[in-house]
Amino acid sequence: MASSQTFGSMSVRAIQAGLAAGEFSAAEVARGTFERIGAADARVHAFLETTEAAALEAAARVDAALAAGRDLSELGPLAGVPVGYKDNMNLLGTHTTCSSRMLESYVSPYTATCVARTLEAGALPVGKLNMDEFAFGSSTETSAFGPTRNPWDLDRVPGGSSGGSAAAVAAGLVPVTLGSDTGGSIRQPGSFCGIVAVKPTYGVVSRYGVVAFGSSLDQVGPFARTVEDAALTLNAISGRDELDCTSQEVAVDFTANLAEGVRGMRIGVVPAFMDAAGLTSEVRDKVAEAAAKLEELGAELVEVELPNAQAAMSAYYVLGPCEAFSNLARFDSVRYGYCDPGHKDLGGQYEASRANGFGPEARRRIMLGSYLLSAGVYDKYYYPAQQVRTLITQDYARAFEQIDCILAPVAPRTAFRFGEIADPTEMYLSDMFTISINIAGNGGMSMPIGLGAETGMPVGAQLVAPAFRDKNMLRVAAALEAVYGPAPVAPDFADGKAGE
Amino acid sequence: MTQHLSEHDVRGIAEYTRIGLDDEEVKQMTVDLNAIIDSLAPITEYDLEGVEPTFHPIGDLSNVMREDVERAGFTQDVALENAPKQQDGCFLIPSILGEGGDR
Repeated sequence: MASSQTFGSMSVRAIQAGLAAGEFSAAEVARGTFERIGAADARVHAFLETTEAAALEAAARVDAALAAGRDLSELGPLAGVPVGYKDNMNLLGTHTTCSSRMLESYVSPYTATCVARTLEAGALPVGKLNMDEFAFGSSTETSAFGPTRNPWDLDRVPGGSSGGSAAAVAAGLVPVTLGSDTGGSIRQPGSFCGIVAVKPTYGVVSRYGVVAFGSSLDQVGPFARTVEDAALTLNAISGRDELDCTSQEVAVDFTANLAEGVRGMRIGVVPAFMDAAGLTSEVRDKVAEAAAKLEELGAELVEVELPNAQAAMSAYYVLGPCEAFSNLARFDSVRYGYCDPGHKDLGGQYEASRANGFGPEARRRIMLGSYLLSAGVYDKYYYPAQQVRTLITQDYARAFEQIDCILAPVAPRTAFRFGEIADPTEMYLSDMFTISINIAGNGGMSMPIGLGAETGMPVGAQLVAPAFRDKNMLRVAAALEAVYGPAPVAPDFADGKAGE
Repeated sequence: MTQHLSEHDVRGIAEYTRIGLDDEEVKQMTVDLNAIIDSLAPITEYDLEGVEPTFHPIGDLSNVMREDVERAGFTQDVALENAPKQQDGCFLIPSILGEGGDR
C-alpha cells in the first residue's frame, strides 16, 4: 500500500499498476493527493485552486468501473491519474484567472479541449496552477497572487510562465500537469525544476479554451516525471479538434518508439548556441556531456547551422506583443473580468479597469503591441518580423534534412533567485534558446540531465524535433532518461517531506 | 538609447489601448518601451528583399465549412454569469448618451 504522500511522485504506470492490482483505489489516490498538496504546497505555492469534488467524482467513476470488472486500460490512458492544469485553461466551474486581477473572479462556463481530453482519458482533475500573469514572464514572479517557489531551492524561481505546473511535479504533489508555451513557457520551467516538459509541434494540441496570448505561437503540452508519462499524456490530449482550426489530425502513438534507442540517429548540435554569450559554463558542460552520452549510445552528432536563429529574439518580441495586444483587447470590464467601480462614463470605466486589472508586464506588452502595429511602424518591425519567421522556418527545415533531432540548452542558466532579474529586457534573455522553435512551430522539450556544477540546480537539455515528428525528440529523451534516470522529486520534498 | 517614443506618444498609446496611466506611470512606461524597442533593432537590420512573410506556422489552412446542424450554445444566463453588472438579461454599462456620456 502506497503512502498517501507518494502518489505525486509515482509514474502513471505505477499508479495504474497499483489500481489494477487493487493495492489502492482511485478515491485513495485523489484523497492522498490532496493531503499531500495540503501538507507541502504552502511552501511552494504551485496551486491557486484545488478541485476536490471533481477529482473524487472522477475517481468514483474509475472505482465503479473497476468494481464492475472492467479493465483499467479500457478506461483511458490517464485513468486514475491526478492531473493539474495551468490557470489559463478553462475547466467548467473553476476559476480561470491567468494569475491576473483582471480575471480574479472569473468562473469558467466551459472546459478547454485539452482539459476535457484528459478527463475523457480518466484523469482526476486536482486543480489550477500558478503562472506569470497572462503567461507574460519567465519566473512566475508576475503572478498577481504571489510567486511560486522552486522546490529545489525555495529562494529561487521555478521559471515561467508555467511555473506552477513545473513546481507541482518537481515537489511530488502530482505526477502530471499541463502547461502552455509561447516562447519557452513549458521548457524553461521544466529545465529550472528538473522535470520532463514537452512543447509539441504547433497544431498537435488544440488551443480551444486556453486563454490566448500569441495565437500563432501558443501550444499546450505536458509536464511529467518520465518520458513515457509525458508521451501517454500527449496521446490523450493531441489531435484534431473542430473548435480549433489550427489543430491537426495526429494519429500517432507517442509512446511507440521510446525503447528504440538512439543508435543510428543523427542528432544536430548548433555551435552558435553552445558558444552563445550569456550561456553559463555549468549549463554548457551538462549539455555537452549529454551530447557525449548520446554519441556513446550510438547516435551520430552533426554540427548544424541556424544562421537566422539569432534574429528570433527580436522577431518574437515583435510578434508576441502584437498578438497579445490583439488578444487582450477583449477585456472590456463589461462581459467578464475586472470592472473598476463607480465610473459614470464608459471610457473612464474601461481605462481604470484595464489599468488596475492588468499588471505592469501585461500593460507593457499591450502598449508595445499597439505601437508596433501602428501605421508606419508596422512596416519597420511587424512585417520584417514575419519575413524573419520565414527565414527561421527555412533554417530548421534545412537542418532537419540532415538530422533527426537537435540537442541544445533550454535556458542560458539554472534557476535564478527572486528579484535577481528586474530589467524586462534582461528577463527576456531567459528564452534565447527556446523562442526560435515557437517562431518556426517545431516541437521542443526539456529533459533533465542532472545538476549544474556551480549552483547545484537542475539543468535541462532541449531536444527539438522536425515539425510533426515529435516522436523523434521523445525517443532521444527516453535514451537520456536511461542514462540520467527519471526526474527526481526535489530533495527537500522527497519521500513525503514537505520542504521543511 | 534612441528615443523612439516621447511621453506624449505614450499617452496616446495609453488612450488608444484604454489603459489609464498616471504621470509617474507614463514616465516609467516611456523608459521601458524605449528600452524594449531598442532591443528590437536587429529586425530592422536584416536584408529581407524578396523574402515572403510567414504569418502563421501552419501555412496551407483553408476555410472549413460544416453541416448546418443546430447545437446548443451558452444560454443567456450562462453568458451573463461573469458579467460584472447586468440588468434585465443584458450587460449593464454606464450611460453613453446624454449627460455624463462618453468623452
